[in-house]
Amino acid sequence: MAIQEFFSPLKVISKRTFFILAFVEGVMALLIWQLTAGELIPTPARVATAIIGILGTDYFYSNLVQSLALIAEGMGISIAIALLVAYLSLIPVFKPIAEFVIKCRYLTLTGLIFFFTLITSNGHNLKLSLLVFGIVPFFVTSLLSVIDSINVQEYEMCRTLRMNSWRALLEVVIIGRFDLVLEVIRQNFAIAWIMITAVEGISMSEGGLGTMLIKSNKFINIDNAFAILTIVFLFGIFFDYLLGVIRGWLFPYTKLQLLS
Amino acid sequence: MTVRQYQKKEALLKVSNVSLRYDCLVLRDISFEIDDIIREGVTQGQIVSLIGRSGIGKTCLFRILAGLIKPTTGTVLIDHDQHPVRAGDVGVVYQNYILFNHRTIYDNLRISLERSQTPPGGSIDAVIKEYAAEFSLTEHLKKYPQQLSGGQRQRVSIIQQVLNGNRFVLLDEPFSGLDAIMVDKVKQLLVKIANMHEDNTFVIVSHNIDHSLAISDSAFIIAKEEGKEGAVVKESINLIDMGFAWDPDVIRQQEFIDFCASIKDKI
Repeated sequence: MAIQEFFSPLKVISKRTFFILAFVEGVMALLIWQLTAGELIPTPARVATAIIGILGTDYFYSNLVQSLALIAEGMGISIAIALLVAYLSLIPVFKPIAEFVIKCRYLTLTGLIFFFTLITSNGHNLKLSLLVFGIVPFFVTSLLSVIDSINVQEYEMCRTLRMNSWRALLEVVIIGRFDLVLEVIRQNFAIAWIMITAVEGISMSEGGLGTMLIKSNKFINIDNAFAILTIVFLFGIFFDYLLGVIRGWLFPYTKLQLLS
Repeated sequence: MTVRQYQKKEALLKVSNVSLRYDCLVLRDISFEIDDIIREGVTQGQIVSLIGRSGIGKTCLFRILAGLIKPTTGTVLIDHDQHPVRAGDVGVVYQNYILFNHRTIYDNLRISLERSQTPPGGSIDAVIKEYAAEFSLTEHLKKYPQQLSGGQRQRVSIIQQVLNGNRFVLLDEPFSGLDAIMVDKVKQLLVKIANMHEDNTFVIVSHNIDHSLAISDSAFIIAKEEGKEGAVVKESINLIDMGFAWDPDVIRQQEFIDFCASIKDKI
């Protein structure tokens, strides 16, 4: 492939070519960063050194486990609530509730921290509430968009096969779209992962990566802050990949190509 | 051109004064009847075509016949007891061959067979394998719908409805998007399944006049009348009396070709 083709719009490139391009561009970005970083912004070399240092401490692992436990709990509760709201939205009486939850995306969490502090009993519950409240509207939005995109003929086919509306809902929406639910989880996990550092910064009693980040910033340990940011970023990419693999494994038909 | 002996007995499907109005009148006073055709010594199902231009309201009529929507006025009565049609009385094969994409072909057929009110004799597994063998789908049973070609998916859709015990099957544009060889195969398939049971009745909703009429025993032309709102049945055609029915080579006959050309002027 000629170099000029990399700059042609709509050019289809192979997976291998993409990875070569990504690698070269990544190296170039690191080089530019290394050469332009001043005293204040740490160079990639300093960040790498800080990462190695952090990875060698027990303090990091205990905080990592704390963050992973919190996100697992938060995601679990959020998924359960979001699925319930999304599935119930197909019953007319619950539709306004689902629409309201979607609009809650525009509610800023900052103004609600005091409210959640009042209604929760401890720091853990405060973090969990904020996390769930922050994630659920985005989850429901994505899930409703999956449901809205279902071809009405699928429901009609169920009726021609003598399924009642509950069975049609189970077959088409719940079982039939579970692969897309996992994709929604994958896409929204990024929001949850970003939020976790924010809520851990609000209540630092239990620690976590967010707490580590806030402390590093507080003590102007910029190398460590960048190192933690990089670790958070890499973990996010790893989870994104892992959820993609799990989706392909659980639902093999999602990887199939349409023949015609 | 051969005129064959037959008798028409009781009505299997009767559409009376069906009108449908949304923002404007889509269908107006649609009335027609599909009768049970009896031929001595032959298991003779019925294949009926509803011919009309795109956008004339064929799909709306299709959904009314399937019991999926209620007409603004009029009735659709079905079967020997002439009861009002309900969703589930009539099988539907959509133009884009809707199947459960999260299930294998075997499971798509199984779920249909399990819900049949008149399941054929034998175990579910045996029946599915028998039909799969009969319609060249054995090697595809473990595949997902996305792995099949359009023609194969269409076959699965039709068999899915037949296994569900539906004697009435509506097919929306069954020849659309298929190449010439596949069209011939689909026509053979429809004739074969229609003639598997005396009460089997296939209603083809199509704008493809030649292929639809070539396998039909009767047809109804759906069109609008000059200056009037809403499509009506403009003409009923008895292809048996005209000598065009039940002849696999009819599509090559000049008389049939001329007849189809004359229909094009009416829609």
